[in-house]
Amino acid sequence: MNPTLVRLASHALLGRRRGLVLLAVPVVLVLLSVMMRLLTSEGVGQEAVLNLGYTLALPLVALLAASAVLGPEVDDGSIVHLLAKPVNRHVVAFSKFVVAWTAALVLGALPLTLCSFVMDASDPEQALAWGVGGAVAATAYTGLFMALAALTRHAVVVGLLVVLLWEGLLGNLFTGVRWVSLGTWGRDVAHALDEALYDPGVGLGYALGAAAVLATGAVWLAGDRLRSFTLRGDE
Amino acid sequence: MSTLVLDGVSRWFGNVVAVNGVSMSIGPGITGLLGPNGAGKTTLIALMSGFLSPSAGTATLDGAPLWRNTDVYRTLGLVPERELGFGYLTGRQLVRASAELHGLADPGAAAERALEVVEMTEPAARRIDTYSKGMRQRVKLASALVHDPAVLLLDEPFNGVDPRQRMHLMDLLRRMGAEGRTVLFSSHILEEVEQVARQIEVVVSGRHAASGDFGQIRRLMTDRPVQYVVVSDADRRLAAALVAEESVVGVALRARGGLDVSVADFGTFAVRLPRLAREHEVRIRELVPTDDSLESVFAYLVGGRP
Amino acid sequence: MTASGTPSRGVIHDLGYRPYQGPRLGEGAIARALVVTGLRNAFGLGRSGKSKVLPFVLLAFNLLPAVVVAGILVFVGLEELPIGYARYASTTQVLLGIFVAAQAPVLFSRDLRHGSITLYLARPLRAGTYALARAGSLLLATLVFLLSPVLILYVVALLGELDVVEQTKDAALAVVLALLLALSLTGVAGLIAACSTRRGFAVVGTIAVLLVGNGLVSAVQSVASFEGADGVGEVAGLFTPYSLYRGLLDAWVEGGGVTPPSGVGMEVAYVLVLVGLSAACLAGLVVRYRRVAGR
Repeated sequence: MNPTLVRLASHALLGRRRGLVLLAVPVVLVLLSVMMRLLTSEGVGQEAVLNLGYTLALPLVALLAASAVLGPEVDDGSIVHLLAKPVNRHVVAFSKFVVAWTAALVLGALPLTLCSFVMDASDPEQALAWGVGGAVAATAYTGLFMALAALTRHAVVVGLLVVLLWEGLLGNLFTGVRWVSLGTWGRDVAHALDEALYDPGVGLGYALGAAAVLATGAVWLAGDRLRSFTLRGDE
Repeated sequence: MSTLVLDGVSRWFGNVVAVNGVSMSIGPGITGLLGPNGAGKTTLIALMSGFLSPSAGTATLDGAPLWRNTDVYRTLGLVPERELGFGYLTGRQLVRASAELHGLADPGAAAERALEVVEMTEPAARRIDTYSKGMRQRVKLASALVHDPAVLLLDEPFNGVDPRQRMHLMDLLRRMGAEGRTVLFSSHILEEVEQVARQIEVVVSGRHAASGDFGQIRRLMTDRPVQYVVVSDADRRLAAALVAEESVVGVALRARGGLDVSVADFGTFAVRLPRLAREHEVRIRELVPTDDSLESVFAYLVGGRP
Repeated sequence: MTASGTPSRGVIHDLGYRPYQGPRLGEGAIARALVVTGLRNAFGLGRSGKSKVLPFVLLAFNLLPAVVVAGILVFVGLEELPIGYARYASTTQVLLGIFVAAQAPVLFSRDLRHGSITLYLARPLRAGTYALARAGSLLLATLVFLLSPVLILYVVALLGELDVVEQTKDAALAVVLALLLALSLTGVAGLIAACSTRRGFAVVGTIAVLLVGNGLVSAVQSVASFEGADGVGEVAGLFTPYSLYRGLLDAWVEGGGVTPPSGVGMEVAYVLVLVGLSAACLAGLVVRYRRVAGR
């Protein structure tokens, strides 16, 4: 990890309007839970809000964060200014990953815990489970989206297709998708911490292993793509 | 002292050949990479800076391959043509970050020194997205100079730079060349290259068309007559004498005095002209080659044989 | 080209290098051309092969259920359509959202980002007209996306000899609803794309507004229904295009659903908000482009 690159990536993430949207999503989510808790009794609507936060808000935050630290620079070629330096490409990829990952944890996974706790303060265990499950999913999502950003200019759209079509639509139609769906891995971890939560049934070991392998592999792949970064003339 | 070597390098994208069998060696001093738009200059610079793999051949810096070798950037600085992103940083932040990424001992001082060299100290506190094109160009240069590289590659460095800054930049490049650094810059504008570098590499349609001192290149083009203007005190007498010469292929009287002389064999002409003048008692006042400019060299190389 | 009998005179033929003096088409013709080009571009036509992939993959996914229904009709026969015309769009709203979010930047971001907008505005074309022409392209593209499955279902229904009057009435209602939805989606996605010149940002922003917004509203509605506070759910439904569409769909076509607008007043409010949202977004677009032109 390189502190200079981390600093630059943080600038890229927060120094633009992107940062505002990144903040808006979790803020709205938490506000909604506060409102619901105030207007209804404990635990009402908790599942609906958390499902929304987990299946949509969390991946979107991870997607925005991962593509913000890498996407625009690769897209307009200005990353060449960072790469014309004697810095290991895997260090570049990892430093950027760390920044995006931190954002995904703080703005994607942490709000899940907050929401859960706000809506049902009597069950802190469940709040923790949502947070940890969310953290696992956030790790895998951020890694995947980083690799996509290094691989293709259409990383954002491809990432959305993965989240909305593959995990959302097809995941609901074909149960086999759960083995290769990032969201279910996190859910499995959450279930292991709190029996009351939905059990996708892929097994804790598999879920953790798959998330770790995916994140590591994806960051390595992103670094490898940066090693082969090619400078093209203006089209 | 570092030398960049391309050995039989080709690069193709699908079925488009961008660079075709180029071998060149760029040594210390300043070299101009010259060619019309789309000739493959940017592709060559990408190959030389390790941001493109050759489809065939090798590209090396002091013997070390450039592709996928991050260590070369310790000795190499690159000023790409691409627009500088990072609009959300200030100029100083960017140059300072470059210094840090190079692992310099005192990155702050190095950044200030580089900013000073390109005369960007004053606007360095502003965000890059408020900069003009010329300022961005200079910040890019500062960022590439920050580690005092032995090799500097610049892709169209004078684009968008105002005339005064252009003079300053040219001075800077000349000075770096004179210090024994290997400086290569690309341009499609002849006057720019002519003012900065005698040593040129010419690429046309991805092929290496010529290499060397452009005056020498001009002299090698023997199948095309060299043009001279000769002014004397007796133009018509001299013209008559010149027409009789083997080495001269054409003589024309200029409207305001003097002769346009087309010379096929430059060497013989140089020897014969003083003798002719003495024999015919003509005093020669002026002898000017009219097309020993890069322009004519370039027109010749690009346009093919006349 | 000398006429016979007259002495030959010199002539300079107009090869296009001289200033054009002939008649010119007006702003309307430019706008029309822009709308047609934009519509083609939204589906990647007239662009690179790669940019055709996404719109057509989405369109194919979107048509898949309709084609399946057609298949069932052929082999099994049907008493009624398994999915209503208007319900269809609500079922495939994720695909629709991705389509609109991903293609709006094609029409709205690129000219701004690359500065080619000045070239358009150098013609006798006002900034407002440009904005509306672009919105028109996106509206038509969205309608193609929304209505092609409706058309397939309608043809299937007619071929299956279902009741023609009833089917036509339902299909017509679906077309009206689709128009309202397409207008609002065009407005929202267009405005976001025009304000953010970066494609990725615009896409995620639009998706966040459309889908996350809809998710929030759905959550509120289900809780409101659970708590017996249907009024809250009805008001919540006013906040996003998808929930507005769903509300009208439940109220007008199918009945049922979670907290649909009850009473004429609420239904009118739903329609007004849909139309007003679209109008506001279009006005925002016009203002945005006027500002760009004024710079």
